[in-house]
Amino acid sequence: MLHKQSLSRKLFIVFNVLFLTSITLLGIIPFVHLLSISLSSNTAAMAGEVKLWPVDFTWDAYVYLGEKVEFFRSLVVSVERVVLGSAVNMLLIFITAFPLSKSNDQFRFRTVYVWIFAVTMFFGGGLIPTYIIVKDTGLLDSIWALILPGALNVWNMVLMLNFFRSIPKELDEAATIDGAGHWRVLWQIYLPISLPSIATIGLFTIVGHWNAWFDGILYLNSPDKYPLQTYLSTLIMSLNAQMSSMSVEQLKVMENLSEKTIRMAQIFMGALPIMVVYPFLQKYFVKGMTVGSVKE
Amino acid sequence: MRKIRPWKMMLAVTMIMSLLSACGGPAKEAGAPSAPKGNTENNSAAGETAPDPLGKYPETVVVTEVLGYNPPEDPRTPSGITPDQNAYLRDLKEMMNIEVKYKWTVPSAQYEQKFSLAMASGDLPDVIEVDQKNYEKLKKQGMLADLTEAYAIYASPDLKSYMESDGGFAMKRFSEDGKQLGIPAFEDPFLSTQILWIRQDWLKNLGLEAPKTMDELEKVALAFTNNDPDQNGKNDTYGLALQKNLFFWGFDVRGFFNGFGAYPSVGDNQSAWIKGSDGKLIPGLIQPEVKTGLGKLQQWYKDGIIDKEFALKDENKAVEDLISGKVGISYGEWWYPNWPLNSSVDKDPKADWIAIQLPGVDGPAKSLVPKIRSNKIFVVNKKAKNPEAAVKMLNFYIEVGKKEFKDKNRAEEGYVYNWFNPRIANPVDIDTIYMEVNKALDANQTEIDINDANYKTVADTFKATQDYLANDTSNATKGINWGLYYSRAAKDGGWGLTKKIKETDQFVYNEYYGLPTPTIVEKGGQLDKLMQESFTKIIMGASLDEFDKFVDSWNALGGKQIIDEVNEWYNTEAEK
Amino acid sequence: MKSLKKEMPLHIMLIPGVIVTLIYAYGPMVGLVMAFQQFEPLSGFFKSDFVGWDNFNYVFHLPDFKQVLWNTLIIAISKMVLSLLVPLILALLLNELTKKWFAGFIQSAIFLPFFLSWTVLGGVIIELFSLSGPINGLIASMGFEPIMFMLDNSWFRGIIIGSDVWKGMGYNMIIMLAAITGINATLYEAAEVDGAGKWKQMLHITLPGISPIIILLAVLGLGGILNAGFEQILMMYNPTVYEGADIIDTFVYRLGMFSQQFGPAAAVGLFKSVISLFMVSVTYYAAYKFNNYRIF
Repeated sequence: MLHKQSLSRKLFIVFNVLFLTSITLLGIIPFVHLLSISLSSNTAAMAGEVKLWPVDFTWDAYVYLGEKVEFFRSLVVSVERVVLGSAVNMLLIFITAFPLSKSNDQFRFRTVYVWIFAVTMFFGGGLIPTYIIVKDTGLLDSIWALILPGALNVWNMVLMLNFFRSIPKELDEAATIDGAGHWRVLWQIYLPISLPSIATIGLFTIVGHWNAWFDGILYLNSPDKYPLQTYLSTLIMSLNAQMSSMSVEQLKVMENLSEKTIRMAQIFMGALPIMVVYPFLQKYFVKGMTVGSVKE
Repeated sequence: MRKIRPWKMMLAVTMIMSLLSACGGPAKEAGAPSAPKGNTENNSAAGETAPDPLGKYPETVVVTEVLGYNPPEDPRTPSGITPDQNAYLRDLKEMMNIEVKYKWTVPSAQYEQKFSLAMASGDLPDVIEVDQKNYEKLKKQGMLADLTEAYAIYASPDLKSYMESDGGFAMKRFSEDGKQLGIPAFEDPFLSTQILWIRQDWLKNLGLEAPKTMDELEKVALAFTNNDPDQNGKNDTYGLALQKNLFFWGFDVRGFFNGFGAYPSVGDNQSAWIKGSDGKLIPGLIQPEVKTGLGKLQQWYKDGIIDKEFALKDENKAVEDLISGKVGISYGEWWYPNWPLNSSVDKDPKADWIAIQLPGVDGPAKSLVPKIRSNKIFVVNKKAKNPEAAVKMLNFYIEVGKKEFKDKNRAEEGYVYNWFNPRIANPVDIDTIYMEVNKALDANQTEIDINDANYKTVADTFKATQDYLANDTSNATKGINWGLYYSRAAKDGGWGLTKKIKETDQFVYNEYYGLPTPTIVEKGGQLDKLMQESFTKIIMGASLDEFDKFVDSWNALGGKQIIDEVNEWYNTEAEK
Repeated sequence: MKSLKKEMPLHIMLIPGVIVTLIYAYGPMVGLVMAFQQFEPLSGFFKSDFVGWDNFNYVFHLPDFKQVLWNTLIIAISKMVLSLLVPLILALLLNELTKKWFAGFIQSAIFLPFFLSWTVLGGVIIELFSLSGPINGLIASMGFEPIMFMLDNSWFRGIIIGSDVWKGMGYNMIIMLAAITGINATLYEAAEVDGAGKWKQMLHITLPGISPIIILLAVLGLGGILNAGFEQILMMYNPTVYEGADIIDTFVYRLGMFSQQFGPAAAVGLFKSVISLFMVSVTYYAAYKFNNYRIF
């Protein structure tokens, strides 16, 4: 590995680091902007003076946030949803992708199943019928309404299926010869070997559950059950743009919306937990890789 | 809805009752409803003989509702409270024995969507807040209870006086074949009057007078753009605040066009309709005066009076410029001092905003005003067992607006008035505030001497006014005090000026107040796009002849049918 | 018979996924009838009037429909291609970094914008490209005329496409990185021994190694051929750029401005579904035929 590096290679590395660093900056800027606003005085924020550094620095928004029951209540709901939802999703993805990753000879009904799932990626009934089904299955107003309807994410399942396919066939065959059934192959061979893909898809699943807000509005009947992003969405929403005049009451809403620093603080805090989880999952990407190479 | 077993329900009710009696305590007695206890007994004994608008049901009446809510207005409201914990509901139970059950509550921005779902799944509550559109839908399906009798028997004198404040115009709008199907919450339509907000301190800095004509306004706006009105030595200001929706609820150009005798819109993305010389209604949007106005805007854009990127700005961006002192003129309604100009004053204490009547071609111009200002109607589901409960709840809300309740029902105790429905505010609320506060000011009083349902709003404004005049910022910032005072109480302020405009007949009515006609529903979105696109492009420098093309397309794409439909409505249904 | 017994566990594994899919994905498809109805929520699916193809006729014959369809295709296809290419390049570049912590850091940063909604990001981007924004500041400092990017049809589409690719690039990049880590490490060692340079390794090992995933993402991406990004465009567009940026979804949104038009909206939805299914089916079989690869 310790070849002498050619000049062009060195140049490339320098360029590469510079380029990726600038891309990184681009990704961070919006967060710096949010954070700066949340740490500025409200008048400065309202006047649009805050760019990438706080103006009239103050912790006020965060102090206020610390006392806000709604924020923490919905944070708890969100955590519950992410844990429960991701567990259900991952389990279903895992056991669904496995049979579908078999070849048509190994599993003759494969194609039928595949299309049953695939069609749902393109056709949907829309809001109203989905709502009626959720209501008729008795999920309305419970956390399961946010979990069961999307319990099998077909897109992620297809990804998993493709990762499974890259697992060397020999492993599979060797196990079968040893007399292991499908279930054992799934748990004892596929599970450990696909940790990187599980981490990847798990990340998407977690982020998906964390960011989802609209189903909370649709299926939950009172605000104390809202997950964090649903609660936050109620803060960002401005008034109906089609409105022709503002009543005295709506005027009060506008006044409330003027607390820009608090809103930004909440948005920032809303994204923070998931950003913290991310590097943690990232470890598994690397770990999974080494497991994979050992097996070879 | 999950089914609740009767015995469970009983249990729940008894538990609530016992809780109430446990924590209610003597404090509640002090604020007892004005309905005499004896009356209640009468009711239960003699049945329906003496209906009392505020009386107590002998047995608990459960009323289901749904609620689109905004956050509590008062920052002192206990954190984490939810609508079903609203203390008003507890008092309602105590006073009238009505128990409110929310089928669901949702942030108001999503109310409409959630309500469609409820309609589609056939799960409507007893008492419903609807807009005009849904009112018509429910009416057509025969799902509304007739409230004529309930209203006649149970409406309190206060509620009746509210409904009669416009001569019964709004009530009539929501009755059909002599049946009262809905009770509207409405406001004085003159609240929509357009006026011009302008920075007096900038005028002073530049030695200019408040403009009365369009030409004067142009001179002022140019000076605001070029002559450093804030005297900070930088060329960082411009004339007129404007955001991308030309006809909106604020920071738009409805008032500007009115100055040219043009009445394109009341701000609802549809045309305004004015009476033509032949007595028919004509769409203000396509009249030649609009072209004149557009020509002027185009020139202003070129001169830098309007932000080069106004077409990018939403209301928040326009507001940023107002607050940060980048712009000194804006068309709008009476409430600007209340928001956002209060922040402008807090940011820059020198900022001195005044209201003036719209400058016109030769002298002050008339503003367009709608005939009715109501988009909230309370209706009762035909299946509801006690339709009169809705009327009684309306009575309740008006009743607890009185002083003895307001002093007790503080936000910190969990009273969130804007979560209580059905709720109708005094339609002439703003005028009452204006009159009462000025009366108290003129007489040098330290307290207002009114004790009816308007007590709270009047008292709040009076307090802010006193604080503002005494330069006292212990309760609120200067901007907030000034905002309340200058929007509601000042004689030359938001409402003061609007009132003058109303009384001196300086307005033109938008004659159409019906629902969107079938063609508007079908083609309105396209016509609106056409308008936004053509007008914005003209202002930004496209040929003014584009306007004629716009008129042709507008007519061809459905405008003609709309004109017919609107006139058909005018001939058959309008109250003239 | 024997094989059926052998396949039995595979069927059992699929049961939960199939049940959830039948109930929550196929159940609501009853709602597709809305496309052929003058749907009224109060009447429901069974009592609303059937109007045949009227809804389709109405939408397809609206004056701007062709322009809107064209805009949708251009924006969606550009987004599709770029959101494959850019993440691919990033993943390859990132793979060349030797310091793992640095790679991890950059990977996280690139993923960051994915956490923010367009409601929040839209404003940031508009500010970035406004006359007083940093980009125009840069242009002015180099002595050029400032550009009104967001009000210019020739720039606006580019910004829509670019910002969407930027926001989403972390997602596909992670999938590709996961695929790269799955490549057998011995292949690289062998190449090293053969004296193949980094460039050659990339070309002959990495790219072929992740080509299944690329094909998968491309085929599934085609399913979104008529999804040009509703939320984003709604947040960012303005009347001056309707001409180039009004897409099917914003168009339908406006149809419902004065009264929600369920029928036409459902008709457009169904139209989009059929096109997606068609595109994906065709490419699915093409990929199978030419590359002998089934994506699912």
